[in-house]
Formats: sequence, structure tokens, C-alpha cells
Amino acid sequence: MTTGDPGAVTRTTFTKLQRSGVIQVDEKRCLACRECEVACSLYHEQECNPALSRVQIDFNDYVPGFPDIRVCKQCDYPACLYACAARWDEPALKVDPATGARYVDPDLCRGCGDCARACPLTPERPVMTFKKVGRKRVYIKCDLCYDRPEGPVCVAICPGGALTYIPAQERRR
Amino acid sequence: MATLYGWTGKILKVDLTRGETSTLDTADYVPQFVGGMGVAARLAWDMLRPGLDAFDPDNPLFLMVGPLTGTLASGGGRVLVAGIAPQLSPSVFSRSSMGGHWGAELKYAGFDGIVIVGQAEQPVYLWVHDGEAEIRDASDLWGTGTYATTAVLRGRHGPKTRVVGIGQAGERRSRIACLQTETGNAAGQGGFGGLMGSKHLKAVAVRGTGGVAVADPQRLMELCLNASREGAAPTVPGAPGRQWRPQMDPLTQVRARKCGFCATVCQDRLVMGLPGEVEPQPYTAAHQCWGYMTSPRAHTEARAITADYGINGWEISYGLIPWLQMCRQHGLIDTVNGVEIPVPDKEIFNLQDVVQVPGELIVPLLHSIANRDGEYGDIFAEGTCRAAEVLFGGEGLELVDRIYPRRCGETNHWNSHWGTGGSGYWPFWLVPVLQWCTDTRDPASDSTHQYTEHVLRYIPIHGPNRGPLSFEEARHVCQKVYGNSEVCNPEITYEQPETKAIPAVFHHNRGMLVESLVLCDREHTRVFSMLTDDKVADTALMSKLLSAATGIETCEQEADLAGERVYNLLRAIDIRFFGRDREVDWSVAETLTQPAFTDGVALDLEQFAPMLDTYYRLRGWNRANGYPTRAKMDELGLADIADALQAEGKLG
Repeated sequence: MTTGDPGAVTRTTFTKLQRSGVIQVDEKRCLACRECEVACSLYHEQECNPALSRVQIDFNDYVPGFPDIRVCKQCDYPACLYACAARWDEPALKVDPATGARYVDPDLCRGCGDCARACPLTPERPVMTFKKVGRKRVYIKCDLCYDRPEGPVCVAICPGGALTYIPAQERRR
Repeated sequence: MATLYGWTGKILKVDLTRGETSTLDTADYVPQFVGGMGVAARLAWDMLRPGLDAFDPDNPLFLMVGPLTGTLASGGGRVLVAGIAPQLSPSVFSRSSMGGHWGAELKYAGFDGIVIVGQAEQPVYLWVHDGEAEIRDASDLWGTGTYATTAVLRGRHGPKTRVVGIGQAGERRSRIACLQTETGNAAGQGGFGGLMGSKHLKAVAVRGTGGVAVADPQRLMELCLNASREGAAPTVPGAPGRQWRPQMDPLTQVRARKCGFCATVCQDRLVMGLPGEVEPQPYTAAHQCWGYMTSPRAHTEARAITADYGINGWEISYGLIPWLQMCRQHGLIDTVNGVEIPVPDKEIFNLQDVVQVPGELIVPLLHSIANRDGEYGDIFAEGTCRAAEVLFGGEGLELVDRIYPRRCGETNHWNSHWGTGGSGYWPFWLVPVLQWCTDTRDPASDSTHQYTEHVLRYIPIHGPNRGPLSFEEARHVCQKVYGNSEVCNPEITYEQPETKAIPAVFHHNRGMLVESLVLCDREHTRVFSMLTDDKVADTALMSKLLSAATGIETCEQEADLAGERVYNLLRAIDIRFFGRDREVDWSVAETLTQPAFTDGVALDLEQFAPMLDTYYRLRGWNRANGYPTRAKMDELGLADIADALQAEGKLG
């Protein structure tokens, strides 16, 4: 088992999780260029494919209003992670010890979809989706690019300054 | 077959007469012709024939994307449109392009472009989704504007469906009808909306959930994250790159918008309402690139209507309305649709002299053009140049010469002889004039922008304008990029023709590369930069992006050669099918002899001739007739094209 791993949660130990950083959005600064979507898929999936992006921009220029930026809120009490841990002995949803990001370990994901269904934003504003790996589903969600030292790639590419990375310690309680 | 990166590998071919779709292998045409414009030109070479009319069902309509479309490369949302252009007079094979989100969606749906031939019996639209294409009935959409068409198709195929469509103007084969996508992106110049309408094709709706495979994701990411975002004009040293104007003006309900898949500063904005109104208007209108000379209110309303009807607003605002004012000054006309045409006191000499027109004139004018009704609608729908031929006993024809070089159907701009756009000052406007002489469209689209926006705004003396660079710095950059340090020297005019011909050729080639990759000309290619120590921009950026995306390592020189290849192929098409030669090129210069509005200097044809000679020499074209030489065509790998030209006695 993963004893000693600070990111480990098992179905029997719903320990208090460390807090996560988050990507803060300012929709009034969003230009709907969708560079964030492409950057996200390029970084995580090595291809340019908005359908595989962890951040999604919905917009309709025909109607007055601002684009809708959908990105994971990195909850203090992540329903996705609890749902995964409730079902599987070795949950695929983990917490990155550095950023606190709630992320899916693709090697452990069984594709059950409990995480996405548990997410409080689903179905109106889904921030979790899945990709097909062969016949298997692997769920994907924002991981704050925890393995990228410079921080989330969507924040880096955003030309309008609509996305800002807020580290855990600066996040409001 | 090896895995293709960057390109999807398939081009969709649609024959509307037979109601059939098929696919072509992109790999047959790339990397030689890159994509977009290059591939369209190569396909057109086999599809065109002399005497083919723009509205003949055999005239192909190309909606092309390229290896960088839908990637992270800034400007990768654009679409290249080509075909025999109805707006041009005479109509020749030409191009236009548009931004938005449609181009990338087409890539995600699995295609590198769409070639449409034939004519459907009944109105149809094309539904393209994840590798599939269906020709569907559009009789319920026929007669509606682009806004309604988009709404219906999104209702039918999902809110993320991207639509390129035509409005009422295109349906009625207006020669100044555009292809419209989103509220503010259109392929305006060329009249390709009329071409699409002549095929009874209302719209092309696209949805794709696939991706673009790239050869070197990490390199592409690094290139895009580190690419300059200086925007069109120099940024203030010390605060470079990421500055963006306020996103929302609460008073005017304006918010910034952009084409999709672009990380660069530009001017696009979306008007959602107007001051004094509690609720935003139920319509939106995007503002970019051009505008009506009228009140803000009329401007916003008229722009929305222009986009909805699918009319080339540029042509109306900078061509038709000024010409009508000139005609009134010459006693040829007083009113349009019963509305008096306002005129300035002094004789109109250039666009700056034109006075504002009220919304009462613009909106009914647009309505009559879109529907070909009213007093002049049917005639104006043919564009100003053709209207001038039939109206007022031809007395207004000479007046179009101020506006339209060679009466070609597309207005002067960025060459300082009419407007609009920025101001070019002597002697630097000689470069756009050279480009005008040899191009098949107003070059202030893909090639002139690069020069006027990325060069003239940096150099130390440009008319009354002062760029941020010292002469020493500017010379250094010009030496490095153009191989000629005097390109930026305002003292040198005709006596060193290469100082004008070199940038004309360079940016023409780069323009073709932009249209083939397909990227945005407001962004590529940069020459100067405020962010580098030596002020030289990363001129190899396009070739690096191409290499990273496709895995085919392409150096800057090879990429330039590809651009040159595409330009020469377009020249060959123009020569073979449309009779282009030096005489035609020269006739452009002959209509640009009035003094420039910026500085009052007039083009001296006698001294300009050697400059055109120099352009030809640098191009490897025959000086006497403007035909490409065998040596040049062989160098570009276009021997088969040269053979065909030779068989017709049209090789230089």
C-alpha cells in the first residue's frame, strides 16, 4: 500500500487533505482564443486537441456576455477523490504533495467514472472528462501541471491574463 | 505510410453537381506545397482552364487550412479561401482568408482543407464531423442571414459547431459577398460569398473532436510560450510583451475578443450594447480591421447587419460610399434609396476627405445590395468597379481610378494612395506599390501588413513618424534580415531600387508562407523586436514552428523557398489562365500616379520602371514579359509547371 505517501487516501482513512492551489479565472479578461485548451492538451497529451483539455472555454459571440471558463476548483473536500477512494482500494485520485493538486494517476484509473459523477460541477459545468486508451477509459482532470516547475501551462500561455495561479497558502479559507 | 504530423492527411473534395464527397491525400502535395494556399494553388493548376467564369460550376472554391492550423502556434485559427474571385475585375484566381474558430475545427474533424466544385440543384449545406462529410438540404436556411444560419446549425449539430456561411448577398451571387464565420470573422475580399452562393451552398458546418498530432510537442510548446507577443506596434521598452488593454469598458459594453488559437495582441473587440441602455442589445457586432465612417451607433448596427447579410463591408465603406460622394460632387447622383448622399466642401482626393454618412443611408444600402432590390441594389451588388461601368453613362468610371488600382475591384490600401489602414510615407510606400503591381489581390492582406506594421513602425524616420530604433540598430536589422542595410533609409528612393524590391519580394514570399501554414499576417513575419538585444526578431519562427509540428526539419531558407514556390505557382496560374504579363503589372503602376495622400509625392513612372525590373530580376522573371524563367522554376521544383507554360509560349 502507499503508506507514508502524503497523497494517499484509502477507503478507510478519509484523512484531512492538504489544501490545493487553484487556477483563478477572470472571465472579463478572457478573449476566447482557446490557447489554454490547446496548451493543456499539448502538455498532457502531446497533441493539440481541445477535446482533451482540462480547461474548457465556452463562448457564444452572438449573445452579449463573457466566455465561460471551466476549470477544476481543486476543492478542499474533493468529492471526486472521495468517490474514487470509496470504490477502490488503491484510488487513482491523488494529491500532489507540492501543489496540493487533486489529480488522476492514469496508471491506476479503472475508468469507472465515479469521480466525474461525484463532481459537484457535473453535469452543468463539467471539468472532468475521459480519454480512450485502447478500449479503456482514463479520466482526466486539471492537475495544475504539478510536474511542471513553472506552473500551469494554461496560465503561461493566456494572452489576456484571464487565468492566474493561486498557490495553496495564498488561497482564501 | 509514415505517420503524418501537423497535417491530418486528408483533403475533402465535394462535387455538389453529383452530390458526392471524396478525399485526396495531403501527402501528395506536402511538404512541397506546405498546405493552405500552396496546396490550393497546386490543385487549381489542374482544375482551372482558360476562360473559366467565376460563377461557372467548375470554378473550385477552396477552404484550406495548413500544418499549423489548430496547433498552439499563434494565429493558427485562420482559414485560407481561394478560387476565381468574382469581385476582381477581370476575375482571376485569387485568395482571401479569415480567422475565427472554424479552421481549427476542420483540423480536429480530420481534414486539411475542402475543395468544392459543381453546383447543387437545391440549396445545401455541408456537415463535416470527425472524418465524415454529408451534403444536406438547406432549403430552410436559404434566405436567412449568417447569424440565423449559425444559430439553426448549432441547434441541430451542437453548440460547439463552427459554421462558415453566406448571407442573402452570397445567395444572390453578389460579387461583394463574403464568407462569414462567428460575428466578426469574414473572408471579405474576393467576393467568395458570391462564389459559394453560385454553388447553392449555404454553409459549411464543422465539428471535430480529434486532435492534431505534432512531431515534437515539447519544442512546439517552448516555441509558442517564448514567441514574441509584441503585437503590431512597438511596445514600450521595459513593459514589453504581455500588456493588454482593459478588457471591458462598462460604459460602452465592449469587450475584447480574438480569433481562436492566437496568443497575440490585436484590435478585435465585440460590441454588446451601447451607452444609455440598461440591457445589452440583443445582437452583437465585432469590430476589427475596418469600419463605417458614421456615428458609433450606426456603425455598430450596420456592422452587425453587414456580417449577417454577408457583405464585404470594406468595399462598401472604403469603395462604394466614397465613390458615390465623388459622383455627387460631379453631379452624377444625389440620393440613394431616397437618402441624400453627404459630400464634403472640397473635392474628394483621398479617403480622408470623405465625410461621414448617416445610418439611414448605410443600412438601406446594405439591404438593397443583399437583396438586389431598390434603386441601385442590383447594380451595387456587382461591386463599385462594375457599377461604374454601367451607371451614369460611364461618367463615374474615371473616378474609380482614385480608389481602385487598375479598376481591379479591390480598393487601394496601405500604399498611401487612397487609404485606409495606416499611413505609409515616401519613399517607403514604393514597396506596397511594387507588391500591388504583381499580386492578384490587394497585397495588404498577407504581405504588405508585414512590412507596414512590422517594419515601418520601428524605423527611426518614416515621414513624420519616429520609430523607437536608432539608425544604427535599424540598419543592423535590415542587413541581417534583408541583406541590405539601406532598406530603412528614407533618403534612398529610386536610385537603389533593390532597397524597395528586396522587401517587396521578401514579404511576398513570407506572405505566401503565412497563407500556406496557415497563420496570421498581423503576427508573422516579424522583422524587428523590442525584446532582443540586437532588435532582430526571430525571423525563423515560422520555419521552427513548421519543423516542430511536422517533424520535417525545415530551415528558414527552405521555408522562404516554399513561399517563393507558392508565389511563382500563383504567378504561373495567372499567366496561363488569365493572361497576366508585364503589361498588366505595369497598368497597376499607371493608376497610382496621383500624389500620395500622406506626403504629396507622386509616383514617377519613368523612374519606377527600373524598380519593377529589379523586382523581376530578384524574382527570376523575364524583364520583358514578367514570365518566370526556366531556371527559376527548376530551382523551385516546378519543372512540370514550366513545361506547361513553355508549351504555351509563356515561359520567361
